[in-house]
Parts: sequence; C-alpha cells; structure tokens
Amino acid sequence: MTVAAAEITNMPRRSGLWHFVRRNPTLVGGSIVLILVALAALAAPLIAGDPIAAKPANRLRPPSHLNWLGTDQLGRDVWARTVYGARISLVVGLAVATIAMAIGLLVGLLAGFSRTVESVVMRLMDGLMAIPAILLAIAFVSLSKASVSIVVAAIALPEIPRVVRLVRSVVLSVREQPFVEAAVASGTRLPKILSRHILPATVPPLIVQATYVAASAILIEAALSFLGAGTPPEIPTWGNMIASSRVYLGLAPWTIFGPGLALALIVLAVNLVGDGLRDRLDPRIARRM
Amino acid sequence: MTRRAATSRRKFLQTGLAAGAAAAAPGRLTAQSAPPAAKTIRAVMHGDLTVLDPIWTTANMSAYHGAMLYDTLFGIDANLDTKPQMVAKWGASDDKKTWTFELRDGLKFSDGSALTSEDVIASLRRWAARDGAGQHMMQRVSDIAKKDDKTFQFILKEPYGYLVDALGKTSTPLCYIMRKKEAETNPMEKITAYVGSGPFTFNENETRQGVRYVYDRNPNYVPRSEPASGLAGGKVAKVDRIIFENMADSQTALAALQAGEIDFYETPPIDLIGQLEGDSNLTLEVLNKTGNIGWLRMNFLHPPFNNVDARRAMLYLLDQEDFMKATFGNPKYYRKCASNFGCAVPMENDANTGWFKEAPNPAKAKEFLQKSGYKGEPILLMQATNIDFMRNAADLVAGALRSIGANVQVASSDWGGVVNRRAVKAPPDQGGWNLFITWADGNAVSNPIALAGHAATGEKAWFGWPSDAKNEELRDKWALAASLAEKQQIARELQENAWNFVPHVWLGQWVAPTARRKNLTGLLAVPGVVPFWNAQKA
Amino acid sequence: MLAFIIRRLLSTLLVMGLVGVFIFLLLHLSPGDPAAIIAGDNATPTQIEAIRTSLGLNDPLHLQFGRWAVRVLSGDLGISIFSNVPVATLIAQRVWPTLSLAFTTIVLAVLLAVAAGVLAAWKAGSFLDRLVMILSVVGFSVPVFVVGYLLIYVFAITLRWLPVQGYTPLAEGLWPWARHLILPSLALGLAYVALIARITRTAMLDVLAEDYMRTARAKGVATGPMLFKHALKSAGVPIVTVVGIGIALLIGGVVITETVFNLPGIGRLVVDAISKRDYPIIQGVILLFSGVYVIINLLVDLSYTLLDPRIRY
Repeated sequence: MTVAAAEITNMPRRSGLWHFVRRNPTLVGGSIVLILVALAALAAPLIAGDPIAAKPANRLRPPSHLNWLGTDQLGRDVWARTVYGARISLVVGLAVATIAMAIGLLVGLLAGFSRTVESVVMRLMDGLMAIPAILLAIAFVSLSKASVSIVVAAIALPEIPRVVRLVRSVVLSVREQPFVEAAVASGTRLPKILSRHILPATVPPLIVQATYVAASAILIEAALSFLGAGTPPEIPTWGNMIASSRVYLGLAPWTIFGPGLALALIVLAVNLVGDGLRDRLDPRIARRM
Repeated sequence: MTRRAATSRRKFLQTGLAAGAAAAAPGRLTAQSAPPAAKTIRAVMHGDLTVLDPIWTTANMSAYHGAMLYDTLFGIDANLDTKPQMVAKWGASDDKKTWTFELRDGLKFSDGSALTSEDVIASLRRWAARDGAGQHMMQRVSDIAKKDDKTFQFILKEPYGYLVDALGKTSTPLCYIMRKKEAETNPMEKITAYVGSGPFTFNENETRQGVRYVYDRNPNYVPRSEPASGLAGGKVAKVDRIIFENMADSQTALAALQAGEIDFYETPPIDLIGQLEGDSNLTLEVLNKTGNIGWLRMNFLHPPFNNVDARRAMLYLLDQEDFMKATFGNPKYYRKCASNFGCAVPMENDANTGWFKEAPNPAKAKEFLQKSGYKGEPILLMQATNIDFMRNAADLVAGALRSIGANVQVASSDWGGVVNRRAVKAPPDQGGWNLFITWADGNAVSNPIALAGHAATGEKAWFGWPSDAKNEELRDKWALAASLAEKQQIARELQENAWNFVPHVWLGQWVAPTARRKNLTGLLAVPGVVPFWNAQKA
Repeated sequence: MLAFIIRRLLSTLLVMGLVGVFIFLLLHLSPGDPAAIIAGDNATPTQIEAIRTSLGLNDPLHLQFGRWAVRVLSGDLGISIFSNVPVATLIAQRVWPTLSLAFTTIVLAVLLAVAAGVLAAWKAGSFLDRLVMILSVVGFSVPVFVVGYLLIYVFAITLRWLPVQGYTPLAEGLWPWARHLILPSLALGLAYVALIARITRTAMLDVLAEDYMRTARAKGVATGPMLFKHALKSAGVPIVTVVGIGIALLIGGVVITETVFNLPGIGRLVVDAISKRDYPIIQGVILLFSGVYVIINLLVDLSYTLLDPRIRY
C-alpha cells in the first residue's frame, strides 16, 4: 500500500460522509425524502386523524387548524387521507417493483440458461410487451373486482417482460466471460455459478430498474383511478384522491393539492434515487465521476 | 459513408415516404354542408348513447334519442297530465272494456310513407313485450285490433283505468311508435333501421358512435296545433340540427360550455354551479322538477336482509341529509323524502313515516339489526366507482353500518361490474350481493305500476327480489282505480304496507339544474326526457 | 437485410397471435360479460341468459376463440356488441385524432427534448445542466391528467388562448387542427420530453468524450455542426431506441389525454368498450395497438442501419 493510499484510508469518517453526499446529491436527496415519507406513513395513526370518517356536513372546508389540509367532498380530513395514502402508494410501488423483479429475475434466468425455455419465453414476453400496459391494467382491474392486490398485479404484469429482457441480457453477457467459462469447465455446479457470478451481475441493473418501476407504478395507479379502474375509493390512495376530487380543481384546490404534491414528491424522490444508484452502479458512468 | 450505403439509404427513404403517403391518404371528404351555427344546437347530455333502440332498453339516453326520432300516442304536459299526441280523439265503451283511438291527420314517417294503425299496433305489441307497465296491461288485454287505417281498438278483459296513462308515461321505455317493419323485430333483439315518426331524423352518416350523435329536422313531420308543453302539444323543430356530444369528463364539458363550444349541458356537477351562476352568458334551469331519488336496494334472498328487522334497521340508520349533501352540496337542489312514491308528486303521502322523524337513530338501528339475528357475517355492499353519487353513497352506507358494529365488505367496480353482479341470485360469498345503490327518476317512482322496482313478486321482481303479496294486491287495485282521489288513497295503503316490509330505502331526492348559453331558449320542462323541439338559438 | 425483414415480419405475426390469445383469455376468463349490461335495467335473469347464449358466450372457450381467430385472419375484426357497427369501421372513424395527437406529441417532444439534451450535455456539470435534469425528472413525476387540467385552467379558461377540448379534422384547416392539439400534446409530451432529454444527454456525453470528438474540436470544427452533425448522429442509436419505446408508451398515455381533452380517438374507444365489456372492440383495438407497436420496433431497428453503418442485418 502506498503512503497516499494509507493516508486516504486514515481519513476521519466525517469528511467521508460529507464527500459521499457531495458526490451523490441526487441519491442522498431522494433517499432522504423517501425515508421521511416512509416514516410519516408508518407513524400515520400518531400524526393524522381518521381518514375514513365521513361527515358530509363538514365538506369542502379550506385548510384550518382543525383540518390542516382542509376536508374533501365527503367531509373527510385531507391531511389524514394524504398521510394514510402514503402507505398504499408506497406499498403499491414496493409490491409492484418486488413482484416484477422477482418474477422477471426467475424467468430471465431460465431464459438465459435454456435455449428451449428462451425461445418460448421470449416470444411470450414479446406478446405481453406488445399490449399497451395501461389497457392491460384497465382490462384486468375492470374485469375482476377492484382491490389493492388486483391493482398491484395489473400494474406488475406489463412490467415483467422488460425485466426478463434485462436479466436475460445480463445472463448472456456474463456467461460469455472467460471466468465463467472457466468455472463451468472446471465442473462448478450451476447453483454456485448462479450465486457467485450471475446473480451479483444482475443486482445493480435490477435495483435501478426497480426504482423506475416503483415510480411508474405509483403514477399508473393514479392513472387507473382517474379512469375509474383503480383501488377501491374507501382506501385513500393519492391517485384515487386526485381522481375523485378532480371536479374541485378550481373550487377546492386543497383536495388535490395535498395528494398531488405528495405524489409528485415521492415519484420525484424515487426517480432521483434511481438516478443516483444508476450513476454509482453503472461502471461506465461511475468511472467518469 | 460509402456510395453503396448512401444509395441504399436513399432507396430506404424513398420507399418509406411512398409507403407513408399511401397509408396516410384519407380518401374521404365530407362534402356535406352543415347547417349554420345559429341553427345547430350542440348539447352534452348525462351519458353516452349506447343503444339506439329505445324500446329494447331502459337507458334514459335511449329515451332521449327516441323522443327525437319517434312520436308517441299520448304525452304528459308540464303539469304531468296525460294529453293526446298522435291521437286525435279517443273514447271508451260504457262497460269500459273497449277503447277506441283515432289517429290525427297527416302522420307520416320520415321516409314519407304513411303512418297507419298497423304500425301503431305492431309498435304497441313490441313495447308491451319489453315494458313492465305494458306487461301488466297486456294481461288484461284480449286484443288490440285495427278498425281502419286511422283507427284501432283495445279490447280488454276487464276495465283498466291506467291504459291511457301507460301509453303516455315517461318512465322508460316510452311507448314510441315505429314502422311496422321495425316493430316486428324480435323484442329480444335490437332494431337496425331508424326511420321515425317524430320531429327529427337520425343522421347516421354524421354520427360517430361514442363521440357524437346527429339529428336533423324532419321536414315530413306535422306537429299539432297547440303550443308545446312537456311531451304534449305541437312538436315544432325550430333549429335544423341537434348534436349530442359525448363528453365523459365533466370539467371539460363545463369549460366547453363557458367557452361557447357547446350550448347545453344537462348535468353540470352541482358543486360547480356556483361558478356558472356568476357567468352572464349562462342560464341555469331545472327542467325535471321531480328529479331523481337515491335508491338502496337490499337482497331479500339472503341474510341479513331477508329478515324484515334488518331492513327496518336501515330505515333508522341512514340520514338522507348526509347522502344528499355529500354529492350535491347545495340544499337548494335536494330534499329528504319519506314517501314511498317520491315527493312533489300527486302520490306523495305520509302514511307510516314515524321512522323518518326519528332517523338517524343508530341505537334503534342497532337494536333492530340484533333482533334480526345478525351475528357479524360480512355484508357485501357493491360500489360503482365511476358514478359520483353511487361512489359517495356506498362510502356513507359502509361507514354508517360499521358505526353500529356491522361487518361490511365493499366490492368496488365500475357500474358495468355492478350491473353484472346484481343479476346474480347466489349467496354473496358466491358472487352475489347484499346491498347496491342506484337511483330512479322521481316521476317514475311516483307510479306503482310503471316502476319495475315497485313490484314485490319475489324471484320475478327487480334486483333485490322483494316479496309481499299484499303489495301486489294493492298495486293491481291501483291500476284499476279510476279517479285520482282513489289512486291516492290506494297509494296511502301501499305505503303503509311498504314501510312495514321495507322493500328498499330512499337516500334523498334531488333535482339537477341544466346549464345552457343564454341565447338558447325554449327548452321544455318534463321528467324523463329532454326534448329539443321548440328550442331555438337567438 | 431482406431476410431479416421477412423473419421479423413472421415473428410479428406470431407475437400478434399471442396477443390475441392473451386478450381473449383475459376477457373470457374474467367474471362478468356484456349480457347483463346489454339486457338493461329491467331484464330478468332468463333474458340475460338468453342474450348470453345469442352472443355465443356460453359456448366452450376454444370454440369461441376459434371463431374469432378465423374471422380476424380473414380480415374481419367483428361487430361491436352494443352499437352493431363493425369494429373496423369504428377504428377507421376514430384513428385520425389518435394519430394526430401522437404525431404532434412526438414532434414536439423530440424537438424540445433533443434540444434540451444536447444543451445539457454540452454544458455538462453546469447549473443549466442540473436545471434541465431536475425539470425533466419533475416532468415525468406528475400525472398527465393533472398537467392537463392545469393547462386547461391556465390557457383555455383563464387566458382564453386555446380551446378547452375537442378535435377538428385536418381537412378543416391546418391551424384549427393544430390549435386543438397544442394543449393535449404538451400534457402528454411532458413525460416524454423528460425521458428523451435525459437519454439524449447521456448518449451525447458518451459521444462527446470519445477521442474523435476531441480531435474534431482540436481541428476547429464549429460547435453547431459538431454537436448536431457528428455527435448527435453517433448518439442516434440510443436516442432512437428511446423514441421508439416512447412511441409505444404513447399508445397508453393517449388514453388519458383523450379523456381529459375529449378527443374522439381510439384510446377513449377502447376504455369505453372495457367498461361496457364490448369484447369485439377490446380485442380488435388491442390487437391493432400491438401490431403498431411491433411494426414500430421493426422500424426502429431498421433505422439503426441508417444511423450506424456498423449495424447490418
């Protein structure tokens, strides 16, 4: 180890963290916002009132000390619904991303390894990708009954093909690497090749992809609610809050302001985290920094 | 770049452009001249016109379409009195079992062919096959006979006082008169040609399904000489063209009205009426004074609402004020109503309305619910998410039931999903249901025969399948009653009985003001239909 | 090259076949069908069942699918259950607003986005670069209908510069056609501007860092031609890829925009059909959309040969 390197490793930790923040502003900024929102969502019963209790006599009241973000057309507290809405939106985003990544990873790995599976699966994925995602989601939800799990499934389904493609291309490129060929030649069993070489290579692009999928899932949920094919209106989600209050854009903008701002903020945050991660994990870009 | 690459690139571009041009050529030119804007009314109504056969469906939009194209034998005027329209004179025999009707002169179809009693009879039969009141009537009819081209007769098995009113009722489907050719279409199928007897013709060329529906003035129509009133009197078309624009989004429709891009908007959201009231170019007017009544249907086939105490609990539980305020905001446009036949109508009465004075009384509701033997099983409430009133009402019903400890499962879907599921008679956990919400036209509700929902014939009844023999007995009596006073008395008895067995629960009555540009005048106030004859733009 | 195109077209047919099966299964395996909706409010369960049988909905699935597949292969997309109008006619009537919207959105988005992306790449690391990137992330974080309503509120209602809604065919004049499409294109295009700008910037950064660009700069090639003629062309492949993906996503975004701005296009046609369970329309339109998607992919791949001479099929 050279003297310079030793000096670097002996640097006090504080400036290390500051350095990290300076070099990854988007990642840090986005993460902070996300963490704050997640904490707020968890602490919902403590910081917000009842999101479901309807008192029509109190409808459309502007923000006041009683109702921080005013009330909606059924007299429900907008602040409470916005905070509880964070739960669903975060869960939808997380669930869609997890399901899409998990299934996509599995299928992609299979496709990367088996020629027969690949030809069948890739055609199926092409077919699935060819159907416009939002139409598939609307059809799925409209034809079943509306519930959070159906909406999650409906949004996750069209995302799977892209993940499969991503995983498959990673598998294919890693398989060609000399060290993998060497491992195969020396008789290493498949599970070990998978865990030692293949999987670690898929993780960075998958994580980045997962963040974009999560952000887009939250937006798609809003769009589905707008078109009447979203989560049941009883359960507040930012999407269905905006959708059912949209008539009041001019009359009572606070009904849209709360969820709208929250929605934009969290999607922004997730996208920023995705960007930050990609900048760090993509070897080409990281090299340049 | 190599020459070979350059050549192939140019070729690529050339073939591409040629292909694109071929694909892009529209090949259609609408050379049809449209009437001037001053003679065209552009209207946004409450929904899309999906079925063009107004006999086959009960959808109100189809009834509006029917009113443009077809004429009726009788029509109600602004005072809800039945007046003759296509009929010149009519009378009954002394024993009241033979009714003779004579058509007025000059009646023609829009293709110029003469309208005779054969067309009328065929239309009547088809209508009766689809309509509840018509079916009720036909049970007492032994024949409808042609006497000559302008005269026909109803030959009854027993006197039926409701006959003429049934022919002129505005609850859907209305008794529209079509050509014999269309009227002979199987009642289970839809007609495919649209030649009518009314003041407008259907311009199929200009119509775009789901986008706009175009009606042109019928030059062959001969209106009556009296002034227009409701669906009675002379139907004089004072403009050349009416266009129904299908705008799904209420914000867009409202903004279009304010910008002058449309002339008439049937159902502006009541919360936004305020911003229209300030606009000097717009007028608000309630055309349908009996409005609509919110309707909670309960499933008589399965617990808990197969037990009368559970149904009574709902009467005491719900506060109509909440339901109305939530969706309609302004008390100017709604009221609570305890009468089984709606309010502001001749059949309104206050029999057996003690519960109304007490509601909401959650404690009493809870008592009744427990008395019914309810042990906490899930109550399946269907919610239509794409219709504001239904969506809000379901949230409120669920909240109210939960506040007395009931276990409510809300099944959300779009209205199509509700329509599908409400037809299922299986238990709720096997695809059925316990509760759903809709509404009914105020004028239709005021008629025990015309409204299918008033029948308590068990499994043959409307969704919910209420069952009560006394109800049916009294309904028959009502139909046979001759005078208004007699009808009102029987209505009292019906209601006395109804609020004992509780066939349904009302959620409040509201009227919806229409909004239009100030220069559009002459719109007729009548329930069930929005007529566009007599309307003109200054 | 020809062999490549033929192979791709064959695979297109296979893909569309798969799409057909997917959608058919989705529709027919889901609970509910158009019968009850068609029957109307006063129908009895017997009547509903009769309608179901007359529509063939009680036949075994493979029979129903076979029937539909045979018709589609002979060019017949079927007839709308509700309006009795052939699906192909409905599509033909309503395809122009959707195409117009897609066209103006893509043109607008590509122009704005490429300009922004090139600018950001050129001034990489500066405040302008950061601003463009932040604005672009905001751009695809806000739902289309919110942007749409805001635009209507500001430009149509308050300022009265542009119409609120509606569509005028091109045949009635270029400006009337265009002015009805400005707000919808902006609302819809915002997300794509964002996406394309980012990719443009990244791709441009990659290219600008290449040795031959440094040589060009050293040689004194002016900034304009350097950026647009040399760099952009080399960056073309990823940009065109994302434009292609964008077009595919556009098909979905069109649905919401058509509802907000009341454009009588195919997006609204299919959403209405879904709520009415009008199976022939749903199946026909989705099949059409997937066909368009696959063809666009093919065109994008073919365009690579123009942009990058190293790519040959």
